[in-house]
Amino acid sequence: MSLLKPFSKLPGLNTANILLVESEEQFQQSLADALVEETAVTVNVRLAKSLPLPMENEESRPRIDLVVFIINLTSELSFQSAEASLKYLDPGYFLGKVCFMVTNARKASAPTERLDAVRKLAASLHCPLLFAEDQTPDGVANATERLLTILKVSAGLVPMATALYLSNLTRCTVPPDIDQPSFD
Amino acid sequence: MAAKQNLSEPSDSDSSSLTDQSVSGRSGNRSLRVAEKERRKNEAEDPFVLALKYFSDVGAGTPVYGNDEFETNLVLVERVAYSKGLSPEAISVMLEFAMSLRMGTGPCVRVLKCLIPATIVPQEPIVRAVVWLGVGKIPISTQVLFIKWVLTVFDMIDAKDQLRAIYGFIFSFVTEENLVLRVFRVRKLLELQSKLGRQPFLLHLLSLYKVFCPELVTLSIPSRMKSGFRNYNTPWKSALIAVQKRNGSQLASSTSLPFTIKDKTSSRKRKHCHLELPVLSSLVNKQPQTELSSSRKVVPLVQLNSFAQLLENIHRIELPAQMGSLLGSSLALQYLDCVQDESALLRLNFWLGYALHEEFLFYGDGGAYQNSEEALQFLDKLLFTQHFLQEAFSSSEAFLYKFLSVWDGSLLRPQILGLLSNIPVVPSSQIGRLLFEPLMQLFFTSSLFFKCGLMECLNNMLLKWLTWHSVYALEDDLDISLNSHTSINMTLSGFKDSVMELVHFVGRLASVGLQLEGCHTLLLSFVLDFYETVCDTFLKYGLPLVVMPPPGVFYPALFSLDPVSVDRLAYIMYRYKVNLTSAKSQEKVTEQAFHISRQTFREFNHYLVVMVNCLWNSNMFRPGMGVQLGEEVLLKSNVPQYWTSFDLVHHPAFMSYAVDFHQRCWPGRKDMDLNSIKHSKPWSWYLEYLYSQGYDGDFMDTHLTSPDGPSLLFAFTAHEEQWGI
Repeated sequence: MSLLKPFSKLPGLNTANILLVESEEQFQQSLADALVEETAVTVNVRLAKSLPLPMENEESRPRIDLVVFIINLTSELSFQSAEASLKYLDPGYFLGKVCFMVTNARKASAPTERLDAVRKLAASLHCPLLFAEDQTPDGVANATERLLTILKVSAGLVPMATALYLSNLTRCTVPPDIDQPSFD
Repeated sequence: MAAKQNLSEPSDSDSSSLTDQSVSGRSGNRSLRVAEKERRKNEAEDPFVLALKYFSDVGAGTPVYGNDEFETNLVLVERVAYSKGLSPEAISVMLEFAMSLRMGTGPCVRVLKCLIPATIVPQEPIVRAVVWLGVGKIPISTQVLFIKWVLTVFDMIDAKDQLRAIYGFIFSFVTEENLVLRVFRVRKLLELQSKLGRQPFLLHLLSLYKVFCPELVTLSIPSRMKSGFRNYNTPWKSALIAVQKRNGSQLASSTSLPFTIKDKTSSRKRKHCHLELPVLSSLVNKQPQTELSSSRKVVPLVQLNSFAQLLENIHRIELPAQMGSLLGSSLALQYLDCVQDESALLRLNFWLGYALHEEFLFYGDGGAYQNSEEALQFLDKLLFTQHFLQEAFSSSEAFLYKFLSVWDGSLLRPQILGLLSNIPVVPSSQIGRLLFEPLMQLFFTSSLFFKCGLMECLNNMLLKWLTWHSVYALEDDLDISLNSHTSINMTLSGFKDSVMELVHFVGRLASVGLQLEGCHTLLLSFVLDFYETVCDTFLKYGLPLVVMPPPGVFYPALFSLDPVSVDRLAYIMYRYKVNLTSAKSQEKVTEQAFHISRQTFREFNHYLVVMVNCLWNSNMFRPGMGVQLGEEVLLKSNVPQYWTSFDLVHHPAFMSYAVDFHQRCWPGRKDMDLNSIKHSKPWSWYLEYLYSQGYDGDFMDTHLTSPDGPSLLFAFTAHEEQWGI
């Protein structure tokens, strides 16, 4: 068990590294394929089912600039896995280098409580919460674009902007009345 | 339970429960009198008729428990209902019995549940029942049950002309909290809910409110609830279908209404059935009969083909059975726009809110159709309607707030941004939570093109708000009615607050957005579009409000590499000046209460000083000029005469023009000296030249016609001193 640290390694020149964590391993592959198409900077994509990451690749692993937790809202397991993985991140990551990406939020089979729980989780960690349409090519392309926007900032490739600055603008907020007693 | 016990009872009621219609239909050949006699005789012996008679005659306050006569009769009616369906007469008797609560609420619910029509439902008893609703003794669960029943059998109601007259009531029962005392009611419901626990009817109501005012019902409604809602109608539906099958009924199954679609069996068909606009059809099923009975002839919209016809019949137009069909017809929309009856808009809103919610926020499995043609066409049609009516539907507004919080920023983007720009003024207390928070997050994480799109959308939104203000502002300047149909009133100061919030919000987005995108010219252009609207709020729209752009917008535009942006900034500053001077003079003349703060004047003067010094007076980087750099840093940069580097000759945006001008002016000269343009004669030529290049009128008017001194600026500050601001 090791903590993933944001500043333990040196950054590469004109390089950004992103880690996609998804317990179901469905959406991350198509996202990764789209992410590496980026030409302006070298994007390295690392995939994981959950954290902690295995020890053996520790040396060869580049510095991770952005950790993305992909949560399928129709699956409780997906949420729990992401929640459990969070504690293997160095607190430094929560200064703008973590974001949550939620899929299937508009589905009838996704309970509202789970969305609320994800919202609360993201808000308590001051992280942005993105919604993605993983079923359509347009949706995947757009999700990729948004991740790249955040990744470039958190990798320090955008002048005059830092990860903390951006996440302060985009972090999730919880509606004040979300804490009303639920039906259950 | 009682029905099962009695199933074994031998009965001849099947033959005798034939409705009198069918009996008289068969007896066509015989003489009427004989038939009548026969029928009376039949009826007298028929236990079903006796049962009905019992229910029509039973006195109020008759006990239910231990009342065998009542039990037997009700069981009989139930059995007939589930096997054959009830005749119109039977329905009217039973409904009257149930809703009058003559024997309490217990039988009422039981009767409502077995009201399966055999053929049609007469509208009279429904109207009467709604009247009973108004008496207010019926518990809310029963009210909900009744309304659900009406919705289920809606398409089987024989004539809806009278019913239509009370749609207002019915829909206020369905959506009342959305319109009148919604906060109070929803709170009351939540209170009830916490007292009583998980009651299905409360959940249903709350789910309705959640569709309409998500901001009030934020507590989570479990998705399983949906199936509860669905099952609730299913007994009726399935019984109805069974009865219809047995009777070989000609009446088409009524699956076109959103409420009746919740059949599990048709779930595969369900996908986009909301998105197909219903066909414009008349709601009078039995046209000739109603024309005889009603003294006033009504003309269904479907029969009208031209505007002239619409005008001719405008006093007796009848709304269609399916309000959604209005969206498809511009003639119908014209009527909707001028009709005073609020229930029409209410019904349309209700239908629309439900369709939007079901299709875009609550779709079933396998949702790859979301970008499909139907969804596009539906939203395009909705947009067309809103543009046609020049106002938004409150249901689409409520839908948008919900949708924005789960939007990925690309799905149906043009349509969503289009709908968003149509929303009416949001109160300033709500605007942050409903609009700004989701939009801010989307804006900063999305691409440049999304940023530009959102800027344009917000500009359109502001334009619409201002236009509404200028159209609907009342004369006393205190109250404005923002919407011709829904009578939402807003005080002028409330409206100003909302506009100010919006302008400040866009200012924030623009400043940071420009910073993140490296002052991208395209984004800058959209931002300047927005400020072209903002700078003219007073003169063009009569709103005494002047908000200056933040430095994060002003300086990127001033130092832009693109001459068009600089030119537009100059135009905006010029319009600010015109607006401010006009507001100032008007304030002096009329001594009106509105007041533009000193801070605004100070900001404007500051910007103007910077602009004039920078572009005209070659006084860049001098102390007090806004942008300051240390002397030693500037010397280190080795830029000769650094204070001239942003004047009209040396400004990066205009340098190429200066070079071109220099070559034309002195073709023979080998060494280029741009400073020579600043001599008074070539300077005026240079200005002429810039005019000719398209940087005309407005641009130059902002400034002075000679580089000697900012006379305009001084004139303005002199005024300021004179007015003591």
